[in-house]
Amino acid sequence: MAGPAVRVTGLGKRFRLYHQRNQTLKQVLVHRGRGRYEDFWAVRDASFEVPVGATLGIIGENGSGKSTLLRCIAGILVADQGSVHVDGRLAALLEVGAGFHPEYSGRENIYLNGALLGLPRRYIRRVFDDIVGFAELDRFIDNPVKTYSSGMYVRLGFSIAVHLDPDILVVDEVLAVGDAAFQRRCMDRISQFRSEGRTLIFVSHGLESVRETCDTAIWLDGGRMREMGAVEPVLGQYVAEVNAREAIRLELETRARPPLPGGRAGVGVTGIRFIGPDGPATVFRTGDPFAVEISYESPQPLTGPRFFVGFVREDGVTVLTVPTDDSELEEAVLPARGVVRLAMPALPLLDGLFQVTVGIAEIRTEEWYTLLDRVYAFRVVTDQRPERGVALLGQRWELPELAPAPVRA
Amino acid sequence: MATNEFRASGDLAAPLRAPRTGAWARNRELLGELVRRDVQARYRGSVLGILWSLFNPLVFMVVYTVVFSHFANLHFQGKSYPAYIIAGLLAWNFFSQGLSSATSSIVSNAGLVRKVSFSWVLLTVSSVLAALVNYLISLVLLIPFFIIFHLVPGWPLLLLPVLVLVTFALVLGLGLVLAAGNVFFRDLEYLVTVVTLVWFYLTPIIYQLSLVYQHDHGTLGRTFGLLVKLNPMTWIVTAQQDVIEANQWPQHWHGLLYAVAMAAVAVAVGVGVFGRVRRRFAEEV
Ligand SMILES: Nc1ncnc2c1ncn2[C@@H]1O[C@H](COP(=O)(O)OP(=O)(O)O)[C@@H](O)[C@H]1O
Ligand SMILES: [Mg+2]
Repeated sequence: MAGPAVRVTGLGKRFRLYHQRNQTLKQVLVHRGRGRYEDFWAVRDASFEVPVGATLGIIGENGSGKSTLLRCIAGILVADQGSVHVDGRLAALLEVGAGFHPEYSGRENIYLNGALLGLPRRYIRRVFDDIVGFAELDRFIDNPVKTYSSGMYVRLGFSIAVHLDPDILVVDEVLAVGDAAFQRRCMDRISQFRSEGRTLIFVSHGLESVRETCDTAIWLDGGRMREMGAVEPVLGQYVAEVNAREAIRLELETRARPPLPGGRAGVGVTGIRFIGPDGPATVFRTGDPFAVEISYESPQPLTGPRFFVGFVREDGVTVLTVPTDDSELEEAVLPARGVVRLAMPALPLLDGLFQVTVGIAEIRTEEWYTLLDRVYAFRVVTDQRPERGVALLGQRWELPELAPAPVRA
Repeated sequence: MATNEFRASGDLAAPLRAPRTGAWARNRELLGELVRRDVQARYRGSVLGILWSLFNPLVFMVVYTVVFSHFANLHFQGKSYPAYIIAGLLAWNFFSQGLSSATSSIVSNAGLVRKVSFSWVLLTVSSVLAALVNYLISLVLLIPFFIIFHLVPGWPLLLLPVLVLVTFALVLGLGLVLAAGNVFFRDLEYLVTVVTLVWFYLTPIIYQLSLVYQHDHGTLGRTFGLLVKLNPMTWIVTAQQDVIEANQWPQHWHGLLYAVAMAAVAVAVGVGVFGRVRRRFAEEV
């Protein structure tokens, strides 16, 4: 029985965080030393095995040490503790751009990369056209790679890595850069790769692609392994924790916010709260009751106000802007301080982080008293629902009369 | 090739299996590729590039010949001063080019070092090998000039490969230390340029070693003489002038042995230093 493709034992990697870094002899002479630094463990106590033919996903927040771990496995960084054992030829595709020499053409870089993996020139010549074809770089292959866009860079890097017949492929967050069609082809390539019994270690921001690609996963948290095992449970725990953390973060942010700036004529918003089924919160589930509460204050009773709420998803999509009804409030006089609510019996928004804009205007003059642009945010999670997108649209499937189920013997 | 015809371009075709090779064969393959790359970079625009490698020693030869033998009234004892200069310059250019490209060999390939794991030492080795290839090309191209100056090849030329090897070892040893150092101190490159410039004058290339012995008095003369004699390149260059220009076996065997010893020490130190600090290259470069 052969051993695992990759075995990591008690791995630790330490970096120096320089407060002041002296990178020239001149500075070293002037400041008497290499600079002040602290040691910092980017990865600590990592132990696991990747059997031949397995696909492992590594997930974790930014800065949790995923790339560092991959670079240790790839042999680029040398561990300060523990050891890494790799059995087979390993090709690594690390964050944006494989090992390219910017001055050399794509063609020369293909040969160079092949040589770096120890492949003879005649082998590379045989796969050369396939590499260029897959990367869709036919017209650019003789230009220096420094003139390539980041998408072209990644396409070439990926194409080289998969065509040079590695036993183990290590991929770090690179596919996010390419366009959707290329990503699709990469994922196809990767699943073909799996079916050929090769070993894959995969880091991706997109949990979906980890779910699709990997059978096991490791969750790194602050450089340590939090969970390891079958991909579904690890992803589930990770998502739950991320949501909980986000809730805390949003909560803290809300609390730490300075008093809202007063508006024109002393009319201002004094607070905003998001209310869920269990009271004020910052993370909500699709379909739960939801409300935005705006507290306002004014020196005199408010005559003819217009309240306004807008929701913008973090990628900039304006989901909804909703003013109060002018015909209803034009003649109204509201108390000098009070609370208005925008309520939804069932929150239709799907997964995402939503920023909220609120404002108060005077209907008569059409002028803002105050407008707070995207000052608050809340998170929506869509658990166990099949829909994807921005929001539920009150949709309904209508199907033909269902035939009675066939009786089984 | 028959197997290739059945393969749709790129996607989802059965993979070609590449040969699995040992570390030794892999590194040889890579070294070949790296040297090819370095040499090609130098001779890009082929004909002009090759002329360029001729140009440098020839220009120096003309300048030094005119300045020193004509105006400075240098008393050269030997067959031909221009040939003497070329013989010395060839060895020197190998040394100084090799040293300067070795020094930057790791830093200038930062993109590879940060992203790919391989024996990074090959970058330094290949930069010195490229300087060696350059040396050999210049040597061959300059043969007509040696003929013009009536030099006849003799048995002592057989020693040339040994001299080349010693120079190679010396450059490699120093280069490994400097390449590693340059990762941590980026101004080392500039320092090397300056030091090489001074070093040139501490090597009997445009003057003869006998001159140093003749002027070995006074503090200045003695210090200069000492530095010249401590300089291993002195003995390598002198030997090369002996075998090429004077057609005689090297006259300073002790010096040559000293240079061999220094080269060996340099390699040992270089390999040691490089091996110790290479583990931090990827994060520092
Ligand atoms: N070369 C380096 N020098 C110093 N610190 C580094 C270096 N590379 C990464 N780090 C630090 O190590 C931590 C882990 O980084 P990384 O492995 O890139 O995380 P991830 O890929 O999970 O986002 C981060 O805090 C990062 O700042
Ligand atoms: Mg990363």
